[in-house]
Amino acid sequence: MKYEAVIGLEIHVQLNSATKLFCDCPNRPGDEPNRNTCPVCLWLPGNLPHLSREALEKATVACLALNCTIQPVSAFDQKVYYYPDLPKGFQLSQHHLPLSRNGWVDIAAEKGGMKRLRIHHIHMEEDVAKLVHETEGKTPISLVDFNRAGTPLIEIVSEPDIRSPYEAMEYIKALRTQLRYTGTAECSMEQGTMRVDANISIRPEGTSEFNTKVEVKNMNSIRNVGDAIAYEITRQTECLEKGEAIILHTRLWDPDKRVTTAMRGKFAGPCVPDPSVAKIRVTEDWLKRMQERLPEMPAKKAERFVTEYGLTPDEALAMSLDRDISEFFEDTAKRGLSPHKVTNWITTHLAPMLKDRNQTIEETALTAERFARLLAMLEKGVINAHGAREILLKLLESNESPEDLVEKGQFRQVSDTSELEGIIDGIIADHSADVEDFRKGNEKVVGFLMGLAMKASKGKANPKLLREMLVKRLG
Amino acid sequence: MSGIYTYKNVLTDAPAGAASPLAGVRVVVQPNISVRGWPCDAGSKALEGFVPLQDAEVVTRLKSAGALLVGSSRMAELGFGLTGETSVRSLGEGADVAAMTDTMGEARVASATEGFFGFKPSFGLVSRFGLIGLVPSMECTGVAGRDLNSIIDIMTTIAGKDPNDPSMPDEPPVDFTSTPQGFEGPFRAGIVKESLDLLNETEAHAFKAGLARMEAIGAAIEEVSLPGYSLFRAVHNTVAAVEASSSAGKYDSVRFGHRSPQGRNWNEMYLASRGESFRLPVKAFLFQGAFFQFEDYGAFEDACRIRNRLVRETTDVLGAVDFLVFPTRRMEHDAWAAGSVRAVYESFMLTLPANVTGSPAVQVPGCAVHDGVDIGLQIMGRRRDDARLLSAASAIASSVLRG
Repeated sequence: MKYEAVIGLEIHVQLNSATKLFCDCPNRPGDEPNRNTCPVCLWLPGNLPHLSREALEKATVACLALNCTIQPVSAFDQKVYYYPDLPKGFQLSQHHLPLSRNGWVDIAAEKGGMKRLRIHHIHMEEDVAKLVHETEGKTPISLVDFNRAGTPLIEIVSEPDIRSPYEAMEYIKALRTQLRYTGTAECSMEQGTMRVDANISIRPEGTSEFNTKVEVKNMNSIRNVGDAIAYEITRQTECLEKGEAIILHTRLWDPDKRVTTAMRGKFAGPCVPDPSVAKIRVTEDWLKRMQERLPEMPAKKAERFVTEYGLTPDEALAMSLDRDISEFFEDTAKRGLSPHKVTNWITTHLAPMLKDRNQTIEETALTAERFARLLAMLEKGVINAHGAREILLKLLESNESPEDLVEKGQFRQVSDTSELEGIIDGIIADHSADVEDFRKGNEKVVGFLMGLAMKASKGKANPKLLREMLVKRLG
Repeated sequence: MSGIYTYKNVLTDAPAGAASPLAGVRVVVQPNISVRGWPCDAGSKALEGFVPLQDAEVVTRLKSAGALLVGSSRMAELGFGLTGETSVRSLGEGADVAAMTDTMGEARVASATEGFFGFKPSFGLVSRFGLIGLVPSMECTGVAGRDLNSIIDIMTTIAGKDPNDPSMPDEPPVDFTSTPQGFEGPFRAGIVKESLDLLNETEAHAFKAGLARMEAIGAAIEEVSLPGYSLFRAVHNTVAAVEASSSAGKYDSVRFGHRSPQGRNWNEMYLASRGESFRLPVKAFLFQGAFFQFEDYGAFEDACRIRNRLVRETTDVLGAVDFLVFPTRRMEHDAWAAGSVRAVYESFMLTLPANVTGSPAVQVPGCAVHDGVDIGLQIMGRRRDDARLLSAASAIASSVLRG
């Protein structure tokens, strides 16, 4: 029998608000342990939570970016369970009345075209403290760091629309793109600001019932999510084929062994309305202001890049996925340069450089104005591509003008024919055998000799001119 | 004295200026009202050694109004009932007023037993910041005193919006300054006929005597009906137990509180510590709450729905009359001796409706008396009608003094 997978994802995203969800402590979990704490987020007796307006606003903008409908009334519940990372005994979360419902994102389907994946709801909740287990010493101890306690999260609960590891990974990437665009969250699985739990069940292909699902946790990259789901589908299929029942439980992904292992029965604690946190009632006016905060989103922007700048759909997609890049592209292209050339230079040169340096454009010294001047010099033939690349590397680090860098680094392209003649003379004299080869009809020799000549000019020769002159001399 | 206080203020605070509204007023607090640097164990081993880092808002306001905090009393574990409670006894010994948490009628019943005045304000009028509470939606800081004027003075100081308690509604402040002179009779008072079944013969006589006092100052007494009256107890018990179970969830004995030496891992230590910390009847009450949370959530939801209905019914009845009148306590149900959840509830049957609806209620001594037994006269008003309620109580109290 052929089976198909039914996958639902529950994704926790840490919002990047300045403070925690219910107190004024800084939302910086990575600081020195237990530094960012107060009686509220230490959950000491006698304290009352007060909801952060900024966190609520960021959560709302994030929901809007995922096409969700903000609910007129939402409220916090106490999700009751005890664990040492939650010494209050309950987590404040929106169980009964979530902030928003009914969203979606589009992904490129595996077999071409688009597929729309629905979001069931998004709710806000507070994060718990972090446990650090020290097992090295004589007596193993566990330490509790409250920096993370009470930091704001949104939990994005998908509909069970996802059918494959590929779709799961694309769904996560699509969420990440949308959320990063709004500037409300960093969404890094590696850093733990985005955490994905997958619910997986399988059923005979073509049927519509939902079978017992298994929850998988502990994946720390998008790739791992795909691998864990693929592993789980195979494992469950084998179980069914052997006639074993699937039991509702939670499994952990082991990134080293690349398998999932059973952790515990799936736990669902009770959720009781919290009597102290005020209900959230959304007014039309406020919601309008939140909608105005939403930037032009990538799909819309890509469409505009096609019509306004004449980019191909692929180029437009590449230029719109990241908000910083998209704004940098537009700022550069507006300065009278060919949009194709700008796209090409961003994709093949700038983007890989940023990746190497692990920086965003903002974090470098580069500005669109200086990038445009660099590309203009390239277009006019003042420098060649090799030189432009060298200067671009320097522009990332210093505020010097590209023109000064050209002069200082002697990157000016050599178009002086007598200088080029001298180089060609030398090459021909040293490689008479190759010259013979060419004259017998081996055209590949031109490339080889060109390489030698460029090297002899220290990369500064005008390649077009050099080639013309070389071919003429050989002929 | 040592039997009354768990902590006595050793600091001789600089005497407040004569202009301070509460200059010289001596206040005792229960040890669940946070005072910075004082042990606040809420009467429970689960909070043994807990010392708050901040004053409760009530305490901040009392201090800045010049009141002298004399110390903290003993109290029932986590403020559930009156077992072991001593703050009202301190009123004869060193204190003028007691700040007491009223969750089901504690301030009123304790005052009635000792012959004092006791007041529970409207819900949302007094900040709960710093109150180590048990039932957030029902409890508030009440006041017990030998006379109403001192209660009014305290309320003038502690009532009003506190940004640290976001559960307080954004409402204009209640003005206590013209109380009690502001009273303008006559008024209409309703007696809830369904409540009369709870009284024995002596209590019925005593209650009648109290009503006669009210009529003497010009009150028109009429019988009204609250069809849902018999449900108040079940609603209070269900909702309060669930909230208590959540509130007490934070007592894990790690950072403060009694810690059991038993157990091979954190989970066993946690269970053993909580088992050894909580006593009856609170332990049983917490079990009830956990039962509703984990096993019968539907019953809790029903209780919340019925609670809304009871609030509506009460509001409707209080639209037709100015106040509702009840006795405060029943002689055969001693709140101090109550050892079970059932017994605790029996002793607060007449006071807990005000906690369910969030209404203000005041206990007046010396009127509902028969055969030398004072069961206390309890007057309950509309939410936020606290000032007029206290005025009416003052008028009744003055008529008692005149004899």
